[in-house]
Amino acid sequence: MGTGTENSVWVVVAAYNEAQVIGQVVCDLIGCGYRVVVVDDGSTEATGPISGAAGAVVVTHAVNLGQGAALQTGIEFATRNGAETIVTFDADGQHRAGDVAMLMEALAKTGADFALGSRFLGGATAMPHSRRMLLRAAIWFTRVTTGLQVTDTHNGLRAMTRDGASRIRLRQNRMAHASELLETIARSGLRYVEVPVTIEYSAYSLAKGQGLADSLKVLVDLSAHRLHR
Amino acid sequence: MIAQISFSILLGGIMMYAWTEYARAPAIGLVGLIVAAAGLYFVWLPEHATWIAAWAGIGRGVDLILYVWVVISLLVMLNLHLKLRAQMELITALAREVAIANAHSPATTQ
Repeated sequence: MGTGTENSVWVVVAAYNEAQVIGQVVCDLIGCGYRVVVVDDGSTEATGPISGAAGAVVVTHAVNLGQGAALQTGIEFATRNGAETIVTFDADGQHRAGDVAMLMEALAKTGADFALGSRFLGGATAMPHSRRMLLRAAIWFTRVTTGLQVTDTHNGLRAMTRDGASRIRLRQNRMAHASELLETIARSGLRYVEVPVTIEYSAYSLAKGQGLADSLKVLVDLSAHRLHR
Repeated sequence: MIAQISFSILLGGIMMYAWTEYARAPAIGLVGLIVAAAGLYFVWLPEHATWIAAWAGIGRGVDLILYVWVVISLLVMLNLHLKLRAQMELITALAREVAIANAHSPATTQ
């Protein structure tokens, strides 16, 4: 599936110990015609080499810094290499490469700076009830703290224009980056549009996912972020 | 009552912080939890603090001293945490530049 503008589209995949699935994820994206940069976030196994063999550019953190740090690295790499549109995509295989085209189409149609994937507008297969409740709580928290009436908050599938990407600077190295991004959008008055996407949960992706303790860490990180510059 | 509730909220927040830090630094997390729990105990049962003060040969002013000590200790911890975060941001910026400068195209990754 192509839109004719894929050469200026970079898909950023932050990966940490994803050797089991990263090859297929990269192949799917390259099959759609996108340029892919995998940020190997200090993996202890073959995530980087497998990604490279599958056709991605590989940028490697010497040490594990976290998903937020890896995404910011990938975004900076993409903008320095001429990207006009940047897409973030999870490494655990729960996104559909075909959904990327819908995000870009939404950017083009609406003139928004960000297209945010929403599983609650689209679909989610095999989502556990506990995960649904946790996400609902996160959505409520985001709406209260940012005023953005979003329907999904921690969806890793999103697209941004070059201008939008240049306006964000993720300082939250770990999982709080998703909330930080939405706070930046709200504070800067950047335009966003939500796009229905599908998340396909698997035993693998669920094992990699976040739990209640991670949510508390996100709250601590967000609070600490406000206490220092 | 207002002071008790305010201190309880503060100490409850610190207990959450200590819990989240436990995996990274068990000793700090455990001590933080114990100190915060002790603070909560004395906030709601100040007469026990008095009893302990009497037992230790210290007067009632120890209540206030305990509260201040707890708060100051926790603030020092928080400050240290923030300094570590700032250091981490510098390390991240450095690691990012090194990573981007050494990016591997598909042909050179293997």
